Amino acid sequence: MNAIEIRGLSKSFRGLYAVDNLNMTVPVGAIYGFIGENGSGKSTTEKLICGHLVPDKGSIKLFDRKYTNAGVRARVGALIENTGCFPNSSVWDNLMMQAINLGLSDRAGEIDRVLRIVRMEDNAKLKFKKCSLGMKQRIGIAMALLGDPALLILDEPINGLDAEGMKMMREILVDITRQYGCTVLISSHILGELEKIATHYGIIRQGKMLEELTAKDLEGRAKVFTSLKTQNMQGAFGLLRQKFPDVRAEDGYIRIYDVDDTEGIVGLLMQGGFPVREIKKNKIGLEEYYIELMSKKEA
Amino acid sequence: MAQTHELKFENPSFGKRIKGMLGVDFYRLFHTPMFYIFLAIAAIIPAMIVSMTGMAGPDGAATRPLYTNVWNIVAADSPLYIIHDIGQYANMNMVFIFGGIMVSIFIGHDYRSGYVKQLFTTHAKKRDYMISKSLVSAFSMACMCITYLIGGIAGGLFAGLSFNVNVGSLIIAILGKMVMNLGWASLYTFLNVIFRRYFGISVAASFFIGTGIPIIGAAAIIGNNSLLNVFLYGSSVYACLSGNIVTMLVCVVVSAAWTVIYNLLGSLVLARCDVY
Repeated sequence: MNAIEIRGLSKSFRGLYAVDNLNMTVPVGAIYGFIGENGSGKSTTEKLICGHLVPDKGSIKLFDRKYTNAGVRARVGALIENTGCFPNSSVWDNLMMQAINLGLSDRAGEIDRVLRIVRMEDNAKLKFKKCSLGMKQRIGIAMALLGDPALLILDEPINGLDAEGMKMMREILVDITRQYGCTVLISSHILGELEKIATHYGIIRQGKMLEELTAKDLEGRAKVFTSLKTQNMQGAFGLLRQKFPDVRAEDGYIRIYDVDDTEGIVGLLMQGGFPVREIKKNKIGLEEYYIELMSKKEA
Repeated sequence: MAQTHELKFENPSFGKRIKGMLGVDFYRLFHTPMFYIFLAIAAIIPAMIVSMTGMAGPDGAATRPLYTNVWNIVAADSPLYIIHDIGQYANMNMVFIFGGIMVSIFIGHDYRSGYVKQLFTTHAKKRDYMISKSLVSAFSMACMCITYLIGGIAGGLFAGLSFNVNVGSLIIAILGKMVMNLGWASLYTFLNVIFRRYFGISVAASFFIGTGIPIIGAAAIIGNNSLLNVFLYGSSVYACLSGNIVTMLVCVVVSAAWTVIYNLLGSLVLARCDVY
């Protein structure tokens, strides 16, 4: 069973398609990193899933049920754009309203639980408008966690946070996904952070799904490369091009792709009279993979 | 990753859904100072109008009193759609103006804060939203009717006005106007759904409709015609101190009919339009 199954979904605004015949599959239990540049249709897709927007065509199923099914919707938690909190109400009151809305029995206990998860238990009495951006994001996550959600939809939860806030948010997201085991759809620009937690990825561009892959797929497709610097970069580059099939000059380094033989490379350069000043082994991550995919599509 | 969640999806009954939504709306209503401010406004205005009636003007001469009977601040003696002076206009129907503004602010905050998205993420049924808002708004306006009544009586006592009245007709007038609250609340909820992206316009629209100007204007053209009773303002005027059981019946039918119409229209708009 899939947590989210989207087929042929389209949504236009004044004739312009924000989401165009999109297909998407999020397996149950996945942490799905939803990636795309600004305006690619990530947030629109998430809003469509949450029922905030009305699709032009296509189908959305959540856990094999129509997305408007009240039973399945009662177990969806979302943080999209803003937290949906009343600024003059306290953190506690905002959470209480959502707990009442969801018809939870032990409301106070449930609020305490989610506040502990997001490390906000000492700020429950604070008015929402007095909270910092990082705190507001955490409250939004707490709100989404109320009522034991089976599916969490988080739109850019790390955006705008400082380094410390980002670290805390990542830890919270890891806690949620590992300990509470719900399916999570996260969109983020910060691919390095996403890579640390996601099990599946979907790459969207101009409203269309370019590619869906698992973390294992990415691992399999990830190229290994050796990057190095020498005194005579041009000479070394020419020598290496003769020996290896994929050699590139990138970011002030010579990169030799798909070769996992540092000693051989160093030996070859020494023999050629190009002593190595700096050398390191690397692996293409999500960010490089994404950039490469985008440049391929643009080409 | 271990899937620790039980994947059970029980369809919540209409009762459970509406209970949750009403619970939130009442919690919000009682926790917002705005509700108490409007209750106070609803009490102060009739008290001021009644107690200041007949006071001496700047030249020292007593002005012509607006009312000789305190209950005229609640309802007119007879259904007058055409207004000749402020005394004929200033009665419990003013609660519909205060109510319109309050409901617009109350519902407007749902959209401005983004809370409505939280609601619609977990509640797929837009109809629940319309019903809940209409009921809570009607309740808040009914509370305003009560404080209005208290304010009016207090002002009347202060001004020493007459309290003579046909008690049955008075009760029908008060209950009739309170019954009309549901229709008015549904209208305001609908207006706020229509103008959900434009807070100022929704407040202005609610205020304008609440004043009854469209019906007063129509009455100026067609005269004091009972056909105007099919509209909310018409029936609200019809609930007057000469009312009887038919008056009550008209109020119930008209209020219920408009409640259904506005709730259906509002649900339709919400189901077919995007929520921002």
